[in-house]
Amino acid sequence: MSAPTGDSATAAVSAEAATSAEASAEAVAAQEAVSAESSAPAAPAVVLPSVVCPACGTSARGDSRFCEACGARLVPDPPASSDPASSDPASSDPASSDPASSIPAAPGRPGPGQARPPCTECGGAVAADGYCEQCGAKAPAPRDHLVDTPAAWVGGVCDRGRVHVRNEDSQALAASLEPGRFAVLVVCDGVSSVPRSDEASLAAAHAALAVLVAGGPTGSGPVVGDAVARGAAWSGLLDRAARAGDDAVADLTAPGAAVPHSAAARTSAAARTSAAPPTPEGTDGDTPSCTFVAAVLDDGVLHTGSVGDSRAYWLPDSGTPTMLTTDDSWAAEAIAGGMPRAEAETAPQAHAITRWLGVDSPDVAARATSRPVTGPGWLLVCSDGLWNYCSPPEDLAQLVRTTAATVGGDPVAVAAELVRWANAQGGRDNITAALARLDAAANR
Amino acid sequence: MAEFSADVFQNEFLADGGTDVHAVVTISCEGSGTAGSGGTDAAEIIIVDTSGSMTGANLAAAKNAAAVAIDQIVDGTWFAIIGGSHVATRVFPYPNARFNLVQMEPGARAEAKRAITRVGASGGTAMSTWLALADQLFAGTPQATQRHAILLTDGKNESEPRAQLAGVLGRIVGHFQCDARGVGAAWVVDELRSISSSLLGTVGLIADPADLARDFEELMRQSMGRGVAEAQLRVWTPQGAQLLFVRQVAPTVEDLTSRGAVVGPLIRSFPTGSWGDESRDYHVAVRVASRPVGSEQLAARVQLVVGDQPVAVGLVKARWSDDASLTARISPEVAHYTGQAELASVIQEGLAAKAAGDEATATVKLGRAVQLAHDTGNDEATSRLRKVVDIESEEHGTVRLKRNTAKLDEMALDTASTKTTRVRK
Repeated sequence: MSAPTGDSATAAVSAEAATSAEASAEAVAAQEAVSAESSAPAAPAVVLPSVVCPACGTSARGDSRFCEACGARLVPDPPASSDPASSDPASSDPASSDPASSIPAAPGRPGPGQARPPCTECGGAVAADGYCEQCGAKAPAPRDHLVDTPAAWVGGVCDRGRVHVRNEDSQALAASLEPGRFAVLVVCDGVSSVPRSDEASLAAAHAALAVLVAGGPTGSGPVVGDAVARGAAWSGLLDRAARAGDDAVADLTAPGAAVPHSAAARTSAAARTSAAPPTPEGTDGDTPSCTFVAAVLDDGVLHTGSVGDSRAYWLPDSGTPTMLTTDDSWAAEAIAGGMPRAEAETAPQAHAITRWLGVDSPDVAARATSRPVTGPGWLLVCSDGLWNYCSPPEDLAQLVRTTAATVGGDPVAVAAELVRWANAQGGRDNITAALARLDAAANR
Repeated sequence: MAEFSADVFQNEFLADGGTDVHAVVTISCEGSGTAGSGGTDAAEIIIVDTSGSMTGANLAAAKNAAAVAIDQIVDGTWFAIIGGSHVATRVFPYPNARFNLVQMEPGARAEAKRAITRVGASGGTAMSTWLALADQLFAGTPQATQRHAILLTDGKNESEPRAQLAGVLGRIVGHFQCDARGVGAAWVVDELRSISSSLLGTVGLIADPADLARDFEELMRQSMGRGVAEAQLRVWTPQGAQLLFVRQVAPTVEDLTSRGAVVGPLIRSFPTGSWGDESRDYHVAVRVASRPVGSEQLAARVQLVVGDQPVAVGLVKARWSDDASLTARISPEVAHYTGQAELASVIQEGLAAKAAGDEATATVKLGRAVQLAHDTGNDEATSRLRKVVDIESEEHGTVRLKRNTAKLDEMALDTASTKTTRVRK
């Protein structure tokens, strides 16, 4: 780690961090942030969107240049534009004008000379075919288990689960270093019955994140004004984020999409199809699709938007836990029609979603909500791989509280434990749990 | 340059608690070239029975067949002809020559044919001496590393104890390959099968001496078409796993399990001999420790290795699932060859029981054979079985033993018992 160099940014962060009970932890994080964000010394807080590896989907800190999981070169996320006409982050990607970075030479897979990490089960060497040379265990693909922690108070874990062959969930997180100031948590769950949904969820989550980060304090079009104005602005941004995600999914199968020209998500698509036999695209309506849920914490208010059945929950330390989103699913419609929740959510068709992102989607308008935060608690954004095993807000609050008491207050540790718990229940679907810890002192 | 490929046929899904993984690995070779073209010299030895019983039509046919085979040997190939009785004699190069083998060229070809015409028939039969001489001649020509012999007899190995042949076979295994042919009905299928099986060759019955020349011509042409001198089937299994068996299942059934050489703690290597443009199927069965539902692991890496270089690899996988629709299915290839391997053994056991006078066992075994031949679509086996049993129901395998069956028909059934049919796709 390098010594702090951007004095003004350090000062800005430290001054705000002093109000936090975790000032010492923040000082460490602030040092890391300075080198990447020193160009914005006047910002009231530092927002670090993580970057995602275009080859394997692993998230890394914003200032990483190479993927730690697979060694591929990382292209930084494009700054999102405040111009509504260009919500596609691809259009402003600086990499598109740089031939050296827009044509990655065989990104992704480790070359024959590169060492692979040892077997996770027995520590043996992993052969070029992806299986351990000792015990034969299949080496997990980096995409199978993704960990993201943009700041000490925000973190998420996205896991393949036990039963599915691929991890088609994705998460995209951003947060201010100052706890409780600003955070964006996006989770997308690829629809497993259609091909390339793992790419769809990854593309959608990061496209949506870029739109939402733009409305943050260091973004290109910060949301300002009183509570009413902010609520309206975020409602609009969440809707645009869903549409940006929808566009990113559509771009996967658009004509010419195989040519990587800009966005990280699109480069990812090209890298993956070159590594595997190309799949016929857009045939028989089998186009990639995914769900969308985003939660934004801004100025002490939680704003959420969703399409599909991925969820956001507010789980206060005391008081009534709440599910912030409404599913677009058969089960939700049945519950709305009077069927008991437990019965509806365990019905065979419970998981049939009625809205999604993708070219064949009839409607991608995000259902937006706002809710002020009044005390300490956890913001949880998750896919059905988690809530399948614990749907009622009261039960989920209890689970998170118990888990936090066991593993400590680190959101990534809690998320990892929630994923482990869901796997222990059967892990029948991909599991994503993204958390933000809100402490009383940080709430405004 | 020879191109190898490997295809794996299996149902990789195991039920919760499942441990046994079965797969059929098809290895195919293309562009192998001709014998001796791959930078190594090839050698051929023709071994002809010259015992007293051969006198007459058999010897004349054998001489003719040997001459036809010689015509098929490519120039530059090292070769010799051995005459065998209770002792072995080198017919060509002439016994007084200072060489073990000579290289084929037009002059040698003409002289070899002349040498064959002078062979007479007398004495007994001691096949171990024939094979021992062939081994000695090959050994004296170390530059010829691709070595093949054809052995022809018409009789029982009667001039030596059975253990003698087994002993010599044990000593020369891996030195050369040998196809064995029996003419007429007086030879013993088991004896020739022990030779061809040990020496990675085939066994065949020639009922009519007149067909001998065509068979020799074909054998020699096949041998000359094998441009890859030697390949090994290398099987890796994970730590703690048990390799239940490795079986060649096409074109013939041959259990290789006991022939594995230890290459490393987890790797066994099985000789496969030389390769032409062909494909062979191997049935590999591995027992692994069960893993939780949802896990995947490799159960075996099956490689074909030429000169220490892997040229093809097939991955045999295991994935545990609680979806019965995935785990209940049996791979059609595995099922087919499991049936074909059982077919070979019940035919042999049934004929042995019949020869020993145990008609009850013979009826059950041959009935099962009829049923398996029907199930696996092996029509050739069915028509051979028809000559030995009267079939009431192919489907249920109900048969009656025929009275007064021809010895030749039983031998033909026995000899061809290991021949398999491919899976109908």
